[in-house]
Amino acid sequence: MNEIKKTIRKFIIENFLFGEEDNLKGDTSFLEEGIIDSTGVLELIEFLEEQFDITVKDDEIIPENLDSLNNLEKFLTRVEAK
Amino acid sequence: MITDQLNIPKQICKRCILPGTFPGIKFNENGLCNHCQKQIDSSQTSNTSTKKRNFRYRLDALVHDLKGTAPVYDIIVAYSGGKDSSYILKLLKEQYNLRILAMTLDNHFVSPAAIENIKVITDKLAIDTLIIRPPWAAIKPMFNLTAQKDIFSKTTLMRASSICTACIGIVKSIVLKTALEMSIPLVGYGWSPGQAPIQSAILKTNPQLIQTNQKVLINSFPLELKEKLNQYFIPDSYFKTFKEKFPHNIHPLAFFDYDEDHIKKELKKMGWKSPEDTDSNSSNCRINAYANQCHILRHGFHPYVWEIANMVRQNIMTREQGLIKIYSDQNKEMVSYAKEKLQQ
Ligand SMILES: [Zn+2]
Repeated sequence: MNEIKKTIRKFIIENFLFGEEDNLKGDTSFLEEGIIDSTGVLELIEFLEEQFDITVKDDEIIPENLDSLNNLEKFLTRVEAK
Repeated sequence: MITDQLNIPKQICKRCILPGTFPGIKFNENGLCNHCQKQIDSSQTSNTSTKKRNFRYRLDALVHDLKGTAPVYDIIVAYSGGKDSSYILKLLKEQYNLRILAMTLDNHFVSPAAIENIKVITDKLAIDTLIIRPPWAAIKPMFNLTAQKDIFSKTTLMRASSICTACIGIVKSIVLKTALEMSIPLVGYGWSPGQAPIQSAILKTNPQLIQTNQKVLINSFPLELKEKLNQYFIPDSYFKTFKEKFPHNIHPLAFFDYDEDHIKKELKKMGWKSPEDTDSNSSNCRINAYANQCHILRHGFHPYVWEIANMVRQNIMTREQGLIKIYSDQNKEMVSYAKEKLQQ
C-alpha cells in the first residue's frame, strides 16, 4: 500500500470507524456502507486539503473521486501530479 | 458554581467537553482528547481569520454572479425560526439584498414561540415564507420509529439523534427539491460554526453525490415508511433533468463572526423572542428534548456534544456554557409532551 492510501486509511479508521478496521477494503464504498455521511464528506475534504495541501474543487467532489480508498488514491495521485 | 448541578461524566476532555463515551475518543496524558490534539496540530498551519475573510470574498463574488439571474428568488433558506437561521435571513437581506424564500418544515412539533418568531422576522425583513406540513400519518411513524431505534449509521449518530437525522434529512431534501423546481441558484443554511467545517461553507452541490447520500438515507427506513416519505425526497429523474441547475449551498455562520449573545441582541431589536424567555419549557422544536433523551440513553452521550465541543474548541463558546448546554437534565415536561403526543 502506498503512503497516500495508508494516510487516508488511518484517517477513515480513526474518525469514522472508531478503530474497527475489519471491513475496510480498497473498494469499499464509504457512502453506501454508511461509513461516511454527507457531513462526513465535508470532513474528509477538510482533511485532504490540510493533509495534502491541495484544493478540492467543487466539481471534483463526486463519488468517483472520493468514495473509496482506491478512488481517493487515484484522485490524489492525479491532483498531486499536476 | 452552577456546573455543580450538572451530570458531568467522570471522564471528559479537559478542553472541549467531549466525554469518554464518545465513539473512538482517546485522551492523552494531559486529559486532552484526540480531536483537540488534532486541532492544535492543524492550527499551526492554517489561519482561521484569513480563511473566513476569503470566504466572505467568495460569497461576494458568488452573489455578484448570481443575483437577479433566477426568475423569482436568489436564495432559499431552510428556516426554523431559531436564532441561527433568523440571523442569516437578516444577514442575507441587509448585507446582500437578496430575494429570499424562507422555507419551514412544520414537523408538528414546531413551538408556538417559533411560529411567532417566523412571522415577526419574515414580516420585518419582507421575506416570503413557504411552510410545508406533511400529514401526521407520515410524521408520527417516522418519529416513533426513530425514537425507539437507531436506523442510521454510527457516524451519523455521532453528530445527531435518530429523530433529528430523519427530520433534517427531509428538510434538506425538500429545500433542494424546491430550489431545483424554482430555479433558485443558492441554498442557505444557518449551521453553526460547530456543525460543519469551514471548508464546505460555500459548495456547489453535486447531483451524483446527493443522489448517493439520499439513496442511503431512504434505504435506512423500512419499506412501509419509505412509501409514506418518498414524496419529500428528490425524484431520481431530477438528477438528470436539473443536472445543470444544482445550486450552491452556503453556510454563512461558518465565516461571519458568530457570537450567540450578539445574535440574540440583534434579533431582539427586530421583535424576535428567545424561546427560553417566553416560557421556560419552550424551545423551537418540542420533540428535541425527547430526541436528546432517547439518544443519551442509547449511546451514553448527548447528540449535540460534537457541535458544542467544536465551538468550545474554537473559542466561540466558553467551556462553562458548553457544559451547561450538554450536561443539564432534559426538561421533563418537554420529554413527556413529545412522548404523549406520539402515542396519540
Ligand atoms: Zn477535546
